[in-house]
Amino acid sequence: MNQYNPGPMKKVITIRFFWLTSLLFLISPILSAQNEAETEENEPVDTYLSFIATYTSNDTVVLTAHLFIRRERIPVDLQNAPISFTASGDGQQLTIGEVFTDSTGKARCLIPTTSLPRDKEGMVTYTADFSGTDNYFSASEVFISKPAALDVSFYEEDSIKYIRVSGIQTGSEGDDAPIANETVLLFVPTLFAPMPVGEIYLEEDGVGSMEFPMTLIGDSVGTIMIIARIDENDLFGYVKGGSSCNWAIPKHFLKQDKPTRELWTPVAPLWMIITLLILLAGVWGHYVYAVVQLIKIKQSAKKESA
Amino acid sequence: MKSLTLNPFPLKEATDGQPKKSSRRDFLKKSLVAGAGVVATGGLIEAYLDTSAAESGEKVKVLTTTGEIVEVDKSQIKYPRISRKESHQGIPGKKFVMVIDLARCKNARACVEGCQKAHHLPKDQEFMKVYLLQDTENTAPYWFPKPCFHCDNPLCVSVCPVGATYKRSDGIVLIDNERCIGCKFCITGCPYSTRVFAWRHYEEFDEDTQPYSPEASSPGVEGTVSKCDFCPDLIRVGKLPYCVTSCPMGVIYFGDIDEDVVTNGAETYQFSKLIRERAGYRYLEILGTRPSVYYLPPVERQFPVDRGFDGLNEEVEKRYESTPYVQKQRRK
Amino acid sequence: MASEKELTLLKEFTPQIEHTNIKQTVWMIFLAAVIVLGFYALYVQITEGHIVTGMRDNVVWGIYIVNFIFFMGISYAGALISGTLHLFKAEWRKPIIRIAEFITIIALLIGPCYILLCIGRLDRLYYLVIFGRIQSPITWDVIAISTDIFGCLIFLYLALLRDIAAIRDFQEIRIPKWKRKIYTFLALGYTGTPEQKERLHKATDIMAAMVIAIAVIVYSVLAWIFSVTLQPGWHSTIFGPYFVIAAVFSGCGVMIVVMWLFRKIYHLEKYITIKHFVNVGVLMLILAALFGYFTFSDYLTKWYGSERNDELLINLLFDKYYWLFILSNYIGVLLPMIVVGIKKFRTINNITISAIIVILALWVNRYLIVVPTLESPYLPIQDSRPAWIFYNSTWIEWALTAAGVAFFALAFTIGSKLIPIINVSELAESPQEEEKILE
Repeated sequence: MNQYNPGPMKKVITIRFFWLTSLLFLISPILSAQNEAETEENEPVDTYLSFIATYTSNDTVVLTAHLFIRRERIPVDLQNAPISFTASGDGQQLTIGEVFTDSTGKARCLIPTTSLPRDKEGMVTYTADFSGTDNYFSASEVFISKPAALDVSFYEEDSIKYIRVSGIQTGSEGDDAPIANETVLLFVPTLFAPMPVGEIYLEEDGVGSMEFPMTLIGDSVGTIMIIARIDENDLFGYVKGGSSCNWAIPKHFLKQDKPTRELWTPVAPLWMIITLLILLAGVWGHYVYAVVQLIKIKQSAKKESA
Repeated sequence: MKSLTLNPFPLKEATDGQPKKSSRRDFLKKSLVAGAGVVATGGLIEAYLDTSAAESGEKVKVLTTTGEIVEVDKSQIKYPRISRKESHQGIPGKKFVMVIDLARCKNARACVEGCQKAHHLPKDQEFMKVYLLQDTENTAPYWFPKPCFHCDNPLCVSVCPVGATYKRSDGIVLIDNERCIGCKFCITGCPYSTRVFAWRHYEEFDEDTQPYSPEASSPGVEGTVSKCDFCPDLIRVGKLPYCVTSCPMGVIYFGDIDEDVVTNGAETYQFSKLIRERAGYRYLEILGTRPSVYYLPPVERQFPVDRGFDGLNEEVEKRYESTPYVQKQRRK
Repeated sequence: MASEKELTLLKEFTPQIEHTNIKQTVWMIFLAAVIVLGFYALYVQITEGHIVTGMRDNVVWGIYIVNFIFFMGISYAGALISGTLHLFKAEWRKPIIRIAEFITIIALLIGPCYILLCIGRLDRLYYLVIFGRIQSPITWDVIAISTDIFGCLIFLYLALLRDIAAIRDFQEIRIPKWKRKIYTFLALGYTGTPEQKERLHKATDIMAAMVIAIAVIVYSVLAWIFSVTLQPGWHSTIFGPYFVIAAVFSGCGVMIVVMWLFRKIYHLEKYITIKHFVNVGVLMLILAALFGYFTFSDYLTKWYGSERNDELLINLLFDKYYWLFILSNYIGVLLPMIVVGIKKFRTINNITISAIIVILALWVNRYLIVVPTLESPYLPIQDSRPAWIFYNSTWIEWALTAAGVAFFALAFTIGSKLIPIINVSELAESPQEEEKILE
């Protein structure tokens, strides 16, 4: 790796893995396709599953499984593979359903958390299963986490605007408790990827706040969505919650800085059209005059001969 | 063992109600397929089989769900690429911007290769070029990836006699190669040597079996001009351009200047803050072209410049032979 | 009816119009062969693509554009010489005015063909008309050149009308019936009545003025194609007038060479004398001085300020292109000044030799404007493919260049077979005019 700055770089690489995966899938179809043909008769290939559960608002959880194989160490996504999801806990097992992977090899499903089976600590064990085919080995992945929720709200104090986040871990019998001593990341959803805007530390009461960053740009009336997230937590896994306010700078649709030379527009500037027309009219007018003289010469000749 | 069956609500499937057990043939027919020849772009936007179309007799290889390659008739594949007319309309309410972090570039050329593959470009044509620049003898050399700058005052568009190249409301400058007459005036008009000409027909052009769209800049046509297009076909489906996603170092950031956000896929920054804090600049600002591409100066680099020569093939290495930096190294 | 003087003069040119001797036939076949070779090169270029030329992504314009500028320049000179001399009623012009008009129209037909050779998709050429954008200098050029072609055709026709009428009336000439019919048709029944004379004179005056004005515009527009871009070496305010001057300069050179050739081949020593060579030579001297002045101004300012890219360009010019630069901007300027300026050297042959050098120098001058600039762009060329770094013209381009020159010569030869190469009717008038001046 990089000798100067190994730490952050490594992280970049890990996080970028997903992007790389999809890209490499894209750029290596022919390569992998050829291999496919060669190995078709051979034994099945190993498959890999990466699987997470993300708690979102309204007591729901999103299960995301990503199925891929490796061709000469390059990951290739498998699409349209059936992934079956189950949840279990304390001896109970619940079949959630079966979802086919999409073109990026991902299968997702969204379910309520209220009636999921839990163990004594309130944890849910989620399982994603790919049963395998003639050509592919099966794969299975487990994700264990405790249902939780993040709530984002806004308030103003001494004319300073704040974002408040409160975290709640939900028990199976309504025994909710605050998420204490955890760091929550705040994001703004944008076109391509969520933009980090700060982080909040949740105190003992599960509540934390920070000043609203006044440089954020919202929509045309200043509405902006703030998302709070807990990632890769030992206990809760992934938790996500969000809400909107209208405190952001209204989007002003940056005026294309008015060019002094607007020649790239589809229509030419007026002065240019006028100049051209004057020039053309002047020149062609004289041409017409000369041709008229020629015609008159011809006519006079006809008259004479007549 | 107690077993509950829950009806999962919004079940997000990529396919519309697959029967659980189906023959492979049916499976293929109904599944989302991406043609082997068209995977690069077609795979991103949904490509699907239209069995009602008349057969053209031309076969296209597609990669199926189960990893098999099956030949299907070309006419059976429909691609929702944006038409030439629609491509004149920018993506509403957006104004795209690119930020290139020179401190991170080590000339891995992944951006160049990713772009060339995706746009079906021959070796002779590079939309993205990586230069080894050194402003003066005493200043530091650095690697300089150069896409099209999508200028706000694009001289190339001004000089086009037929309107084959145009600037859209989202700031993107595109070329319509079905309109281009190949006069090359735009190539001389561009001060950044961005545009390339198809001096002959290349086999790579034939690899793309999808209908032409200026947004995809593919397939190429002999005798016309082409260049980096900021991949609007990807942007439309919320994906980042190929060069951004293929760069292993996260050198290239892309985003919407109105939203004030740029991202390289892994890291996302407020554009104005990033430019302010890292002293971002635009190349050759003095020319008044007002580019949409910003550069972050190569300070606190992650790689020494020589790392950029690692693993280059002979042909690429030769390109930098005439640069003052390499000449100087040689003399030492 | 044609005057008697006209008919006697016409008699002298009858042999050229009636017969084509074996030498001339061989000459024309040779020219035709060169043109055929050019067409073969064009066929290769169309079937295999522009890859067969030396042009690549950096140097996208090569000697085709150089030829384009060159032929347009010659054409302009013809128009300017015939137009100005007509308006100023310079008597000495009469024997050479037809040559100037021929140069104008023939070069004007060849020039635009070269820009077509640069176009990647000739099948879409009509897009220039149906999708034309007024902002583009190429559109200006399309409009200006087509206007120029029409103007020059009208002007040439006006100048030919009286001679056509004279041939029609000249019964002794032995030409096929169909040819005579064409002459009769083209003569428009012109018999030289006072009214017809008056009208013809008016039209010619107007068109002479128009042709001068249009030629200035056409050549400036051509220069602007280069100077509106930001390329170092092109982005210059001086380019409009510079190109105009260079054009007339090169045209004078071609004029002298053509005069010399026809004088020798058609034995026109009686009509085209040392006086004509010296007069056109003096014009060439003045233009050489002006051209030298513009060249000096242009490069002095670039060199003095030494903006980075200007400096790179000038270094390239004085390194790789050193001898070409010396030829075009030193020898090409100084030689005509010395030869014409010093009385001792002022012979027909010397003036012609210096004119040949001038033509070459001016062609090279255009090459040095087009190619080195494209070889030194803002971003340094970093390439491993030699063809992409420096421009090396191929046989295809040279074959088509030769074809252009051959067409020029062939059209001149054929033209001189159809109409006297000396304006008979104008010449017939001259004594009267002389009398008027003497009165």
